[in-house]
Amino acid sequence: MSQTIAPNDVSLAVDLAGLKLDNPMMTASGTCGYAYEYQDFVDLHTFGAFVTKSISVEVRKGNEAYRIVETRGGMMNAIGLANVGLDAFVKDKLPQLVSMRENGPRIVVNIAGHSITDYVTAAGTISQNISVDAIELNVSCPNVGDGLVFGTDPTMLKKVVAEVRAAMRDDCKLIVKLSPNVGDITKTAGAAVDGGTDILSMINTYTALAIDVNKRRPRIANGTGGLSGPAVRPLAVYLTSRVYREVAKAAGVPIIGMGGIQYWQDAAEFLIAGATGLAVGTALFVDPATPVNVMTGLKEYLAKQGVTDINDIIGTLKMPGDQGF
Amino acid sequence: MNHVSEAGILLVMSAVSTSNESVSCRQRHDGVVVSNRNICREHFELTVRVLPGDKGGFGPTAPGQFIQIGCRPPAKVLDIDALSGDEFEITEGSWPNLKQPEMTQRLALLRRPFSLSGRWDDEQGTCIQIVQRVVGTGTQWLSELVEGDKVDLIGPLGNTFTLPADRKLGLMVGGGVGLPPMFYLANAMAKAGWDAVGFVGAMTSDLLAVTWADDKPQADGKPVKSVHEFAKHAFPAVVTTDDGSIGLQGRITDGLVRYIESLSDEQKQQAVIYTCGPHVMMHAVAKLAEQFGIPCQACLEQTMACGMGTCQSCIVKIEDNNNPHGTLESGRNWRYKLTCTDGPVFNSTDVIW
Ligand SMILES: Cc1cc2nc3c(=O)[nH]c(=O)nc-3n(C[C@H](O)[C@H](O)[C@H](O)COP(=O)(O)OP(=O)(O)OC[C@H]3O[C@@H](n4cnc5c(N)ncnc54)[C@H](O)[C@@H]3O)c2cc1C
Ligand SMILES: Cc1cc2nc3c(=O)[nH]c(=O)nc-3n(C[C@H](O)[C@H](O)[C@H](O)COP(=O)(O)O)c2cc1C
Ligand code: FES
Repeated sequence: MSQTIAPNDVSLAVDLAGLKLDNPMMTASGTCGYAYEYQDFVDLHTFGAFVTKSISVEVRKGNEAYRIVETRGGMMNAIGLANVGLDAFVKDKLPQLVSMRENGPRIVVNIAGHSITDYVTAAGTISQNISVDAIELNVSCPNVGDGLVFGTDPTMLKKVVAEVRAAMRDDCKLIVKLSPNVGDITKTAGAAVDGGTDILSMINTYTALAIDVNKRRPRIANGTGGLSGPAVRPLAVYLTSRVYREVAKAAGVPIIGMGGIQYWQDAAEFLIAGATGLAVGTALFVDPATPVNVMTGLKEYLAKQGVTDINDIIGTLKMPGDQGF
Repeated sequence: MNHVSEAGILLVMSAVSTSNESVSCRQRHDGVVVSNRNICREHFELTVRVLPGDKGGFGPTAPGQFIQIGCRPPAKVLDIDALSGDEFEITEGSWPNLKQPEMTQRLALLRRPFSLSGRWDDEQGTCIQIVQRVVGTGTQWLSELVEGDKVDLIGPLGNTFTLPADRKLGLMVGGGVGLPPMFYLANAMAKAGWDAVGFVGAMTSDLLAVTWADDKPQADGKPVKSVHEFAKHAFPAVVTTDDGSIGLQGRITDGLVRYIESLSDEQKQQAVIYTCGPHVMMHAVAKLAEQFGIPCQACLEQTMACGMGTCQSCIVKIEDNNNPHGTLESGRNWRYKLTCTDGPVFNSTDVIW
């Protein structure tokens, strides 16, 4: 009989390239606003890190209604990066956000842009605040035509990553968020690593289309939208596994996995596939306490697996053909 | 200016309240179904006993507010956690029994918003009521609930209708599933000592989600005590149907115009119009209100994902000179506001229809 482990003895602490988190649970950008909107529903201190809605240099009003539609096992959104803009963010939202950092989650600010200059300006300005632990680059939001090119063209991506990294406070980490809407994700992942990213996060939403069969028109105003939620999970786990095995592991770049995490089983899949951090988006709308429930489940699961340190399960997937399969 | 009565009804006497006044009590609650009554074709009146959440009991509420209900078995009932038991052990040649409910059944993923149609408090806590029409996956699931079933809800959400201190005649105009918040409003008006008239409309008689009282709805649109939900507060109602199967044949606005025209100027100055229902109906009501110079509060509906103000999906264009997002040809400045937290109630003259 192997020794039994109590769930409470399992350590969930992870280290993302020096960004130390009490636990791997993070919010997915765009699903919790700037935090204060969300704090009535869950104790934000339970998160390892908080990730903001994408911030752009200019104010963006976003797309017309309808912005979302539910599809089987998932939802599509085309919010259009609605946000208050860099100046208002730094002045009004950021102080409130960083005030919860003490004994609380690490702070990650997600940024989006039209041009390299936009990204450099936003990342440079925001990283000056020493309470910002990391900047996440949204180079993959499929809703505005302009952002997509950085996320799909490896040459452009490497360039923007390198320039943003150089413009940032040194000890502020850079996360590049990968788009799944590419032919070969290892190419863009490799470009981000070559550009000098500290961490990769994946995935953003899948470009998708839902049709109103009566009107024969798209069900959201933008036409297409980004699919998220449980429906995308197996796709996201697959991409996480590929990037881990073919790019990230060798480069020593940790991955934040996301896409349809709702139950602890989903989170466990991402960990085994190679993710070190775990972000929850759509499932927060279903139950704001999802990350807390996932953590409870993960601890029990790891204890049953005989694992006392979450890091020991990361990337332990054996695929057909692997040694020891 | 707010006061909370013993029934937990928040009466806001100032202008349309902002969300911040009551946000702090928003939270997730478990609930148990007390009853689920089929009122008429496709409509159900669901009564739920709300169990205390992490921050205590269900917060104070007022008409116009809504809840977000999970239209799926709560995770605990689904027994997702059973997967952590032996079931999940993968032995050679076996395959884990992956009970991912949304993959195997047609289940609503996101919560669905419903206006409160009533709320009361007793020794055991709070009961809330909604009236819902079956239109799809989530509402179908709700319609099948029976006494004792568990539900999972978030609330109370949104801002509220307000009763201006200088007026005392409420014209409550509810079309289709816009009717339920009017039942709750009638209750608040009775408590505040207002006079009120209900205007109730639907396509045809069997889609009117009301309980009939003694008086018969009048074909000439004269208000009588025909609808129990209003009559129990001694308020009369005007019933309209598109096909004339009951009450006045025509649109809800036909009944409203007749009534307003019967008022003296002095009475008109006492009146406030409250409306909820299909967008085109509310727009028509808003135009009438403007024509007669009567203030009008509209409870808007928009597709919602979160209901908590985080996802930015539930936008409406509202007149606003403060950091506008755009300017109309008429010169009016507007901003996108959130139906779930800035609304759902807006002054009708502020809405860019
Ligand atoms: C603040 C607020 C308050 C509300 N209050 C109430 C209330 O008190 N009572 C009430 O009954 N409702 C109310 N509603 C509306 C209610 O939330 C919706 O009716 C509910 O969300 C529908 O959920 P569903 O899962 O049943 O429908 P869904 O399954 O989401 O579908 C909705 C409709 O879309 C149609 N549809 C789906 N797919 C397609 C397609 N491909 N092409 C064309 N059509 C399609 C469906 O047939 C259906 O008619 C309120 C809404 C808001 C925002
Ligand atoms: C309503 C909504 C808004 C989003 N907004 C952003 C955003 O502003 N920036 C971004 O990088 N990703 C955004 N995303 C993508 C999520 O961060 C996440 O990558 C994706 O939804 C997959 O995770 P999930 O299945 O857990 O939701 C958004 C997703 C949703 C559902
Ligand atoms: S429903 Fe998410 S912001 Fe209103």
